Amino acid sequence: MKNIIVGQYIPGNSFLYKMDPRSKIIALGLLMISAFLFEDISHIVYMLVGVLLILKIGGIPIMRIARGLRPIMILLLFTFSFQVVFIKTGDVIFDTELTLSSVNLILMILIILTWYFTRRYIKSRFLYLIIVIVGILTMLSLFSPGFKISSSDFVIYEDGLLGASFIMVRLIIIVTLSTILTLTTRPTDLNLGLERILKPLKLVRINSEEIALIISIALRYIPTLLDEANKIMLAQASRGVDFSEGKLKDKVMQIISLLVPMFIISFKRSDDLANAMEARSFIPGNPRTRIHILTWHYRDTLVMIFCVVVLASTIFVRVYL
Amino acid sequence: MNTIEIKDLSFSYSEDITALKNINLVIKKGEWISILGHNGSGKSTLAKLIIGLLKADKGDIYVDEVLLTEDTVHEIRRKIGIVFQNPDNQFVGVTVEDDIAFGMENLNFEREDMINKIVEYAKKVDMFEYISKEPHALSGGQKQRVAIAGILAMNTDIIIFDEATSMLDPKGRESIIGYIKELNKEGKTIISITHEMKEAVNSDRIIILKDGEVLAIGETNTILNDKEVLNSSNLELLLPLKLMYKLDEANIKNEKVKDILWQLSLNK
Ligand SMILES: Nc1ncnc2c1ncn2[C@@H]1O[C@H](COP(=O)(O)OP(=O)(O)OP(=O)(O)O)[C@@H](O)[C@H]1O
Ligand SMILES: [Mg+2]
Repeated sequence: MKNIIVGQYIPGNSFLYKMDPRSKIIALGLLMISAFLFEDISHIVYMLVGVLLILKIGGIPIMRIARGLRPIMILLLFTFSFQVVFIKTGDVIFDTELTLSSVNLILMILIILTWYFTRRYIKSRFLYLIIVIVGILTMLSLFSPGFKISSSDFVIYEDGLLGASFIMVRLIIIVTLSTILTLTTRPTDLNLGLERILKPLKLVRINSEEIALIISIALRYIPTLLDEANKIMLAQASRGVDFSEGKLKDKVMQIISLLVPMFIISFKRSDDLANAMEARSFIPGNPRTRIHILTWHYRDTLVMIFCVVVLASTIFVRVYL
Repeated sequence: MNTIEIKDLSFSYSEDITALKNINLVIKKGEWISILGHNGSGKSTLAKLIIGLLKADKGDIYVDEVLLTEDTVHEIRRKIGIVFQNPDNQFVGVTVEDDIAFGMENLNFEREDMINKIVEYAKKVDMFEYISKEPHALSGGQKQRVAIAGILAMNTDIIIFDEATSMLDPKGRESIIGYIKELNKEGKTIISITHEMKEAVNSDRIIILKDGEVLAIGETNTILNDKEVLNSSNLELLLPLKLMYKLDEANIKNEKVKDILWQLSLNK
């Protein structure tokens, strides 16, 4: 467990790495707002091209971004299907009748069973699932011998498809932008950047330095705690607790057997840590000098101007066109 | 000159847990004193009282003639550094560099000054090549060395080691004890807390705690020769000392053997 890294930072030295974390965070915010303001599919496609260009110049492999998109794949697919099926305006671009018959019902059940039992051997399960679903739909539309059980119309309208693609592209842009930020910024720098940006919150009595300190301690202790969880799991496993198998009830018991010692150890740990911090003259709320400083460069100003221009033109397009 | 003076100090965690009873102790500037005692004898409690992490029920603590109170606690903490037992629970920074800086940041050192001191003290504890490493990439002994560097950077006159070696392997332990000796030579006042006699033999004086009370205070040689006291202290005796006492009991008076055993117990 020596290689846990918090965040997904990958070292590099393109201009994205040389930017001040503050300007990166603000740029992300501005561009996200723009992405939300676009209403026209062609505009958002331009933006996607722009984002891909940033990736290219910044030397970030597309595969890393794809990996970032994976967790929200289900969400994307769901929104997409939802839009396609339920928006019924505009021209009809695809129309077919899905017929469920005695023969293809049986075939369908067979396919689903095969999928269920083979999916664990397939590497890209998600793709497998999509192929199976598309396959079943195609079969229902083209191949329905035997007697008819039921049938329904499946129509895709232009607006539905456009709307669905629009939302997809927008989500992809947003996830890509934030992935760029986390890929090219160390968690500590990100934290420091946030601290500086949130500094004005002092006016409403929110101390951004304290928040940043809490985040940095959390960052520092996550690997230690994971390590600890691993040790406890090994210890429990040696007493016969099996963490990989079991019914829901067993699973819950296993998790409790992990959480209870974790909590007790963490309380002791935080007590010790508080003592160590106080002993080193830490006084909550007192000003501290810092060894880490951020330097704002010429390029940060340029990026800021660029992002403001993008946002201003989206607002212009939105209001006047 | 006295650095720390403790008068009639008592402390209890709750009504039924009295951790310390009527402690009197004077620690001189530049000396190395070991606080030796069995598990639960109150050693850590005493350390926490000295740096004001706990508040005494009764009695006074003076550091450089200043009485420890709520008003002076921060001033006093600037004079005392403490290395705790668990290397993982006192590493505050995300990296070695950050951790060495933590105390200096709290004391509002200038940035340039901090950067120089980080380099200086990271080199001193042989951690310079690890300066940008994260704690989970370090061994326990290395983390303890980082803790020492952080304290040295704050330039405290007194350093307390509260069982700082007990969670380390023999190699890590050796290196920390080496640094303790070196720091003491350079003039730091050292208070080292341990339940292992062999870690106390190099200090100038030993105080033995038993069930929250002072069982004995004295020069290291005197204490190690005090069979009665050591036997009643609930501590594990060093093997050469045990042999020496056994020879005594059997009335074998071979000065040469005794001398060899004595040297062995002093780790020489
Ligand atoms: N936070 C606490 N709450 C209640 N009782 C405590 C607490 N910390 C310590 N004690 C009790 O106070 C007594 C002295 O504890 P202390 O930690 O000072 O001992 P120690 O000599 O440092 O022991 P060790 O060698 O185990 O570190 C023990 O009986 C202990 O159980
Ligand atoms: Mg202790």
